[in-house]
Amino acid sequence: MASSEPVYDAEVLARVRHLHLRARTLTDALLMGEHRSRRVGQAVEFADYQEYLPGMDLRGLDWRVWGRSDRYVIKRFETETELPCTVVLDLSGDLGTGDRAAHSLPDLEGTKAGYAIVLAATLLYFLHRHGEPVGLEIVAGQGVPHVSLPPRGGRNHLQLLFLLLAKVRPGGTAGLREALTRVGGRVRRRSWVALVSDGMEEPSTWLPALAAFARRGADLRFFHVHDPREWALDFDQPALFFSPEGGEALAVDPGGAQAAFDEVVREYVAEVKGGVVRFGGRYLPVPTHQPLDAVVRAAVLDDARALADLGGLT
Amino acid sequence: MSLSLGAPLALILGALVALPVLAHMARQVPRERKAFGAMLLLHRVVKRLKRRRRVKDPLLLLLRVLAVALIALAAAAPELSYPDGVPEFGGSGRVVVVLDRSMSMGSVQAGTTLLQRAREDAVSLVGELPDGVAVGLVVYDTDAVAVTSELTTDHARVAAALTATQPSYGVSNLRAGLLEARRLLGGEPGEVVLFSDEAGPGQVADARPELEALLSLGSSVVPRTVRAEPARNVAIVSARYGDGLEGGQVTVRLMNYGPDAIEVPCEVTLPDGASIPIFADLPPAGPAEERITIPTEAEGGVGSVSCEDPDLPADDARYFHLPRVGASRVLVVDGDPGDTPIRSEVYFLERALAPWGGLKSGVTIDVTTPVGLLDLEPERHRVVFLANVADPRPFGPRLTEFVRKGGSVVITGGDNVTADRYNAALAGVLPARIRSSRSIADRDEEGVPADMPDLDAELFGPFRRGGRDGFRRVRTHTLLTLEPFDAADDVQVLLRWSNGMPALIERSLGSGRVLLWTSTLDLGWGNLPLQSVFMPLVQRMVGYLGGDAGAGAARIDAVVGQPVAVPLPDLAVEPKVLGPDGEAVRSRIDGQRLLFTPEAPGAYQLALESAPPLAWVAANVPAEESDVRAYDSVVAAEREIAPELLTRRIDLAGFAWVLALALVAAQGLAGLRGSAA
Repeated sequence: MASSEPVYDAEVLARVRHLHLRARTLTDALLMGEHRSRRVGQAVEFADYQEYLPGMDLRGLDWRVWGRSDRYVIKRFETETELPCTVVLDLSGDLGTGDRAAHSLPDLEGTKAGYAIVLAATLLYFLHRHGEPVGLEIVAGQGVPHVSLPPRGGRNHLQLLFLLLAKVRPGGTAGLREALTRVGGRVRRRSWVALVSDGMEEPSTWLPALAAFARRGADLRFFHVHDPREWALDFDQPALFFSPEGGEALAVDPGGAQAAFDEVVREYVAEVKGGVVRFGGRYLPVPTHQPLDAVVRAAVLDDARALADLGGLT
Repeated sequence: MSLSLGAPLALILGALVALPVLAHMARQVPRERKAFGAMLLLHRVVKRLKRRRRVKDPLLLLLRVLAVALIALAAAAPELSYPDGVPEFGGSGRVVVVLDRSMSMGSVQAGTTLLQRAREDAVSLVGELPDGVAVGLVVYDTDAVAVTSELTTDHARVAAALTATQPSYGVSNLRAGLLEARRLLGGEPGEVVLFSDEAGPGQVADARPELEALLSLGSSVVPRTVRAEPARNVAIVSARYGDGLEGGQVTVRLMNYGPDAIEVPCEVTLPDGASIPIFADLPPAGPAEERITIPTEAEGGVGSVSCEDPDLPADDARYFHLPRVGASRVLVVDGDPGDTPIRSEVYFLERALAPWGGLKSGVTIDVTTPVGLLDLEPERHRVVFLANVADPRPFGPRLTEFVRKGGSVVITGGDNVTADRYNAALAGVLPARIRSSRSIADRDEEGVPADMPDLDAELFGPFRRGGRDGFRRVRTHTLLTLEPFDAADDVQVLLRWSNGMPALIERSLGSGRVLLWTSTLDLGWGNLPLQSVFMPLVQRMVGYLGGDAGAGAARIDAVVGQPVAVPLPDLAVEPKVLGPDGEAVRSRIDGQRLLFTPEAPGAYQLALESAPPLAWVAANVPAEESDVRAYDSVVAAEREIAPELLTRRIDLAGFAWVLALALVAAQGLAGLRGSAA
């Protein structure tokens, strides 16, 4: 659903410019090259040979090789086609916290939300520059209605997406299970999907919703945005911790709970990663102090070094 | 055990226990609020920590409450008092060691007697005493002896005296031991260290007055009890030959003082050396009785019973008197055989003295004619009945000599008795000169009855239990009349007829006696043989005159360690006492008695040159010492007399402070670890 709301707010426009500039700068810094679909199919450009195995389509057999070497091999080709890309952005209230983000917007300095918005904008711009149609799904937040803009090409469409990103602010709860089920059911088949979220809902409730993306054949990347200080419980004094999304506040002495917290974080990450991988996705931990170029390079270009910088998580 | 408080008001501080409780109820909440984007994770942490805190928090609260309570308790100066096992030893500077050397201390355990253990402990104690401590030593069994006449600082001398202390056969007399210890202390306070097995009933109770006296002086009695665990002993508590009508057997009573049933091999040894093995089955802590049949002929003297018991060897033998068995000791000289049994004294005497035969009764009789008196054997016969003998003159000297050597003669009346002949032949031994026979009633009449006898006379002792009235039915119509005589120490009228005339007169010559019965022992002059008193009177007469004793010797039972007095006849030579080993034992004569003290169990005899023993003495250990079981304890008696002396007190304030501080530290650590969430 496209927003028809006119954009007059100068502040918003400034944010859009900021986002655009930031996205473009980051994108330019990335190694540019021919974009190729990772999908292997029957197209014109030869990719490689594969040993024939029973059950394979006989149409791909290379009879010449068979004639020369008496071996059965299948010819594989790369398909050059448009790749619909959708960025699913979770801007629930919890993303409004954090103070270590490497990239952010002027009024969201240091927060996970600011980092997530810049990340989303960068991905959209990068993919747009490579000619891919891009779309945006905002599953939580405030300032804008929960939008669903399917992938499209064109500069104007990108500007619309940037405008939405400039306006949206963290707030409310994501309701990841329902949101992902809804989004997963309407993404195009075999599209590229980037889920940007802090995942701060009980994983056992929302991870099964990723099955909707798997059923659509989507190439899912889960950008697990988190503030490194929060995940390290790096605070000096006991405090009454509360969630911006509401709920019970907890009085905690960070020093005393440190060991147990580390243990919980490890278990939580393993649980989320396992769920994402189980449904065919790729898990990318994104601490907000991480430069975005590395994140984008790891996510979009499958750069091995960048992946290692992100923790070697694939 | 009791707990007392020096400052009970300090317990008010106990109210402070409410503080940690309140602190736990009102947990501190941080003031700073912080938005946190990973509350999901924090909730998980808190949930996890709460599971631990469910255990930790009550523990923390408990630690804090205990810490405060202990502080309050420590401030209240608590003191724990409880009865201790034994009084404390040391510090008085005046010590009397009291050592029990009674027979029960000879109990053996692991190859060592209790006395040896007690001696070693006592020597060790004396050796550890500091220089300058005055020490005394009292050794006791039946009596107590102060080995050191006063307290001394010469510990080596006391230790040497302890080492030299030997076991005895005496009885534990704890009271005497404590009395001697009190004398040594001279009325001043001190410490009496008692080395004893405290065995046997009544020992401690008997000593209680002395314990009270010592404790009232401010002294303490510190028992160092040595005891075999468990106490075991098998003892022969009695052995007795069943004489008289029930003779022929030795009855042995044994006692098992141990907790287990046991079979003990025993052996009965007769005076002639013959031995009879037996096995006795004893129940746990119970008695057993064995009867051993003596051979048909056995020499008189002292026999023994012994058993095999390794626990207390001292009481494993017991000595008993055995009369001569199977040999005749009564010679009946039948002066008038008579033509019918009722006119024969022999007929009635045989049935009275040996109704079931001589072998069973232990008394056999030889019957002879007056000529047979020429064969009178003092070794063989002890009593001679002259039954209506017409003329004793041919053997008068022999009879006189027989009596002077300790033999006895019973002279009875009858138609054949002639006064002149008797007075001439037996003048030296007759109780009174015979005048004539005299009829005092018609034969058809009942005759004159006898008077009631004096039961204080030894001869009539058995009639105290009954039968005395039977003498009133004894009647006679004819009797021997006597010349006037003066009753003296050696001549007594034992029984009279109702007309005042003597019926039975006794004359003593040393250990020999002569009885004159002025009627007949058949139905010739009276009815005595038909009366109920006849059989017991005749049997008693024989026993009284020594006819049932082996060789006529006196038989005396004695206890080892206690003096024995043996009455002596008029003798030209002094007898000597021979001990169990045949060696002479030290003795002395006190008037008509010979005194000596047997130092060991066994058979002692008063021996004369070329003559049978005057007396046999069977000396045995005191039976009460065989009971080695513990009944009362000195500590228990002291606890009853002066409970405060045996009460220990412990000041708990220090412990309470230390524990409270430890708990404070512990709760601090636990609080630090538990304050995470």
